[in-house]
Amino acid sequence: MTIPSYLQQGDTAGMLCPAGFMPLEKLQTAINVLQQWGYKIKKGKTLDGGSKNYFSATDEERLNDLQEMMDDKNIKAIFCARGGYGTGRIIEHLNFKKFKKYPKWIIGYSDITVLHSHLFSNYKIASLHAPMAAAFNDDEYKNEFVQSLRNALAGGKANYQCLTHPFNKTGTAKGILVGGNLSLLAHLVGTSSDINTKNKILFIEDVGEYIYNVDRMMYQLKRSGKLDKLAGLIVGKFTKMKDTERPFGQTAEEVIRDIVKEYDYPVCLNFPVSHTKENYALKVGVKYKLYVEHIVTLKES
Amino acid sequence: MNRKDFLSSVIPIVAVTSSVAGNKKDDPERSRKIPPYLKPGDIIGICCPAGFITLEDVQPCVNKMKEWGFEVKIGNTVGARDFTFAGTDEERAKDLQAMLDDDYINAIMFGRGGYGAVRIIDKIDFKKFIAKPKWLIGFSDITVFHSHLNKNFGIASIHSKMCNSFPSDWSKAEPSQIETIDSIRKCLTGEKMQYSATPNEKNRLGIAKGVLVGGNLSLIESLASSKSDIDTAGKILFLEEVDEYLYSIDRMFWYLKRAGKLDKLKALIICGFKVKPDDAGEEFGRTVYEIVNEVVKEFSYPVCFDFPVGHQKNNFALKCSVKHRLEVSNDVVNLKEV
Repeated sequence: MTIPSYLQQGDTAGMLCPAGFMPLEKLQTAINVLQQWGYKIKKGKTLDGGSKNYFSATDEERLNDLQEMMDDKNIKAIFCARGGYGTGRIIEHLNFKKFKKYPKWIIGYSDITVLHSHLFSNYKIASLHAPMAAAFNDDEYKNEFVQSLRNALAGGKANYQCLTHPFNKTGTAKGILVGGNLSLLAHLVGTSSDINTKNKILFIEDVGEYIYNVDRMMYQLKRSGKLDKLAGLIVGKFTKMKDTERPFGQTAEEVIRDIVKEYDYPVCLNFPVSHTKENYALKVGVKYKLYVEHIVTLKES
Repeated sequence: MNRKDFLSSVIPIVAVTSSVAGNKKDDPERSRKIPPYLKPGDIIGICCPAGFITLEDVQPCVNKMKEWGFEVKIGNTVGARDFTFAGTDEERAKDLQAMLDDDYINAIMFGRGGYGAVRIIDKIDFKKFIAKPKWLIGFSDITVFHSHLNKNFGIASIHSKMCNSFPSDWSKAEPSQIETIDSIRKCLTGEKMQYSATPNEKNRLGIAKGVLVGGNLSLIESLASSKSDIDTAGKILFLEEVDEYLYSIDRMFWYLKRAGKLDKLKALIICGFKVKPDDAGEEFGRTVYEIVNEVVKEFSYPVCFDFPVGHQKNNFALKCSVKHRLEVSNDVVNLKEV
């Protein structure tokens, strides 16, 4: 695995939107705070590029913006301001030749899972699954989750704790961390960005899905061989779940508990990785140790 | 002449005769893959591998199939319920297994789709079914079976309406409902199927021949890299979808493209796509036509839109895993079983 260099005070980081549109006023706080942390911010052309539709800009514009920042040696990290949908439309056209030589942290989550998985599978380059611009707003940049991103960027090692959950399966796991948004992970199965999960610690989270669909996606992971050889499973928060008119009869947590019941590896639920503010920075492609006991600890090793 | 000599002198003649005649019905490979068509008095089983349905709600279908001259056997999962499912995974698997293995059942009509086929498919033993295939009938969640059968056994199945789409009052049924339900009978009794769709200026013209595969787009995506993963190379792919956002439809088409499911097609048939309206402020800005034409623009095979199949009244029965010929011209869109 290649771990990109951590940021130094005065380094320049880029910010862009590889997928959905985000108005400038909603990401100004993030820019200000990142500057207070000691970084210079270079705004990409896809930040409030005047798009009138769902995407921040056309496929070509989003591709070029990301490609330029990936290739620019003076940019030491790339913040994705938001997810939404659209990274999967440009990923095949990105050229990683320079990036492989001069890797840098790519930061984001949700739709950015496409980049995390693609970098991990094809280039073995680590990336950062972490809060994006909206998480900084309304003074929330002071919370421990946005602060965990600050710590990660500066090279600090993670050591996170959370409370136990009745469905946890105790044990200790050691392995490289992979994962992200469940819908995106399921959507990448069978493509060139698909992840090999053998001996890995997998983390998943999702938002706004029907429970039956969570069940279907978990079956997809299971039937495509993604769940049987894990070192451990971290289930983040499954928030704003929707149910059908005829109720599914289980919560998302119960669905996941039942799917992994036959495996021996440790499992923890309700870990603070999610589409809420409870979203710790996690380095995809980096080794961690997971202890699921009366308290859950995830530690970078 | 002893028996052994007699046989050896006859065999070459038989072989020559069959290859000259080229009668497809005598082709053992073909008859193994196409389940026997139904005759009057044959039995159709009804069971529910996914969502639940009441006994009352399958009655219109039962009556119609009897009118067609068939007997009906109702499985234990009809009327059973475990929340959204028609019984537990074990109960649904057992009911389907019993019907697959029962020599006296000639076809299986599913009560409805919903969700749940993928939870039981790996519990099913297809050994007897492969030796003595029968028609499986349904769509939507049943795409899991169509894809699984095509991929693993090459056995044909019927993509069509299920029990929950049969009207209780036929006098109020629309002509398209009557016609599409009758197309199930035609499929089952071995009629050569033929369909037409309204020409659409967004279509891409051409003629193609190939085995028909497809079904519900979300389901096809959810089978990626599993034992039931759809094989589209050299085939005519048909797709339908219901209640999905445009962005999600776009994402699924990009999945198909990235997973190599679109580059070796003979043709693409886009059926009914019922789109969920965009949320305010999240307008996607592209139609289904634009989404599809964008992902197939580098290929040259014919593409047609608004084919009468899907979550709609106008939902004709199609024979999956059977060879068809598609013609898309300015004036006609024709799909014919060959």
